[in-house]
Amino acid sequence: MKRILFGAIWIVILLSSVALGEEEYKFEPSEIEKKPYHLGGYVELRPVLFILDRDSAIYKLRFYNRDEGKTIEEYNGKLQIEGSYEKGIARLFVRANFDLQYSYLGWDHNETKRIIYEGYLSLKPSDSLSFKFGKQTLLWGKGYAFNPVGFISRPKDPDDPELALEGFVTASADYIKSFSGPLKTFSFTPIILPVYEHINEDFGKINQLNFAGKLYFLLYDTDIDLIGLTGGSKTNRFGIDFSRNITSNFEIHGEFAFINNQTKKVTDNQGNISESKFDAKSYLLGIRYLTPWDTTFIFEYYRNGTGFTHLEMKDYLSFIDKGYESFITKGSDSLLKKATNLTQGNYGRPNPMKDYLYLRISQKEPFNVLYFTPAITMIMNLNDKSLSLSPEFLYTGFTNWELRLKGTALIGQKGTEFGEKPNDYRIELRIRYYF
Amino acid sequence: MKKILICLFALLIAVPVYAIDGTQLLKQIDRNLNPESYELYRKLINIEPDGKKKEYVLFTVKKGKDKVAALFLSPASEKGRSTLRLGDNMWLYIPNVGKPVRITSLQSVVGGIFNNSDIMQLDYADEYDVEKIEEQGNEYLLHLKAKTKTVAYDRLKLWADKNKKIPTKIECRTEADMLIKTLYFKEIKDFGGGIIRPSVIETDSPLYKGYKSVIIIANLKKREFKDEVFTLTFMPNMESMRR
Repeated sequence: MKRILFGAIWIVILLSSVALGEEEYKFEPSEIEKKPYHLGGYVELRPVLFILDRDSAIYKLRFYNRDEGKTIEEYNGKLQIEGSYEKGIARLFVRANFDLQYSYLGWDHNETKRIIYEGYLSLKPSDSLSFKFGKQTLLWGKGYAFNPVGFISRPKDPDDPELALEGFVTASADYIKSFSGPLKTFSFTPIILPVYEHINEDFGKINQLNFAGKLYFLLYDTDIDLIGLTGGSKTNRFGIDFSRNITSNFEIHGEFAFINNQTKKVTDNQGNISESKFDAKSYLLGIRYLTPWDTTFIFEYYRNGTGFTHLEMKDYLSFIDKGYESFITKGSDSLLKKATNLTQGNYGRPNPMKDYLYLRISQKEPFNVLYFTPAITMIMNLNDKSLSLSPEFLYTGFTNWELRLKGTALIGQKGTEFGEKPNDYRIELRIRYYF
Repeated sequence: MKKILICLFALLIAVPVYAIDGTQLLKQIDRNLNPESYELYRKLINIEPDGKKKEYVLFTVKKGKDKVAALFLSPASEKGRSTLRLGDNMWLYIPNVGKPVRITSLQSVVGGIFNNSDIMQLDYADEYDVEKIEEQGNEYLLHLKAKTKTVAYDRLKLWADKNKKIPTKIECRTEADMLIKTLYFKEIKDFGGGIIRPSVIETDSPLYKGYKSVIIIANLKKREFKDEVFTLTFMPNMESMRR
């Protein structure tokens, strides 16, 4: 009986080992079948906890008439859907973005007109020539966190530069030509960008037809773009960018932008507003370096020629303090309302000052933990020596799931950009599911 | 006298090996694996020690010696990503990010044991010189040395079937001869058009003990392309190359 039992166990072990040894890998034709349509996207949940800095200027500007305690919570939901339909040389593509937020202000969602991020018809009569008509995002420039030559895109959030951005309604073409020799590729991308009531009205001055263009060269293994925008909605601007691999693990990139007749609106510490016009020069220099142990460094220096000086920013922050004092002593919020107007799209825009350093260090799969990437990002304002420091942990080990835990510390003295943000710390969890 | 005889005998054995032109043999192995210009589909499977799997499906096109592009078809989190290699230049396009960015050959696009060079591999003969050939029974063992520093693995040991002239095993090693990973070529399949080659490549690595990766190849076909397909500007349109 014992022998039979041992024999049976032995056969089971043997059979199971044979089965393991003969593991078959399947690759079904349905997995590679081309369909004329596609539907996909992701759904995201992102709760955020802010630890407030109740002495900061921007806190006073935002919370002067309410007390939300030392911390506030925010719950963000996002649904990004994209779909396409292809027939012959034509392709229809739509990317829609729905944002829902619950915060101390209650429920909120993005405006209906901002739901469609991209929606265009593309025609590709040949591999060398294609056309696009409709709303599209055109991200120009080689910088990772900043793009001074991104003349026809909305500003990136350097805190999350890989987020999809809303586009503008344009008509564009791409003409590509390849060569043998030092010049390997040449391409030309002309763009027409109309700005009228209800069409791209947030781009600039309305009732204008704008023209932009990009010439791309792959010359001596270096990507080079020449970029221009003219037309009246914004002042004329021209730029150049480049990117090149110095070695197989070391890349350098740069951008330079010349903006003609830029207008700058500044306030003094009493709230007197003045405007100046000047030719601005912005530029960026950056590297991407991968060490033999899989640590990636992205380092960028950004000079924002249109930005505020330390003194101009200090005046604006002092004006907020003055407005808050006026509210406390006299109960009048008129100065704070004026400061709010100055903040929107001006002092409150991303990277409002002149000189920034960006450093991101990420480590792929430390201790052989697959699909796990910890990283730390620093954005430093060189003019006032304030900075934001964000450690994060990203895990992508479950198919189609992405989990990211990110903290941010804002460090700076009074009168500095990051020191006067409404919160000292922020912690967020982002759970994303792709479908 | 005995010594002389032994030396002569050793020379007689060695002659057939040294008579083989290593570069020609490597070129023959390359052509037996793929036509010079082709399209193919690949499934990459990362298998963890507990049996958990993560799968990626890619569409790949290659032209000539130095042009390769790949498009991710699944999973949903990677769909639409494309990579391009033009000689030593490599770019990655992520639909959400909206523009191609330069990457390095050693950087990993998918995580796990694969790196970019595995996904956008060129012909072995274009990246490696044959330093030495040995005969081991029914197989040749080719010792390969990278032509430039830009190649992901400095040294390869390639075992190839003598008759079929297709690889059976490849060891990828560092300059200091440290083993990074081993590729096992399995399940020879007739893809049509005279292409008969292994359809499954299993990979293991001493750096990732217990982990295994598998590449399954399907629909490998000879196909001609215009050079313009292998450009940074074309990357967002890679899907249009699928038929």
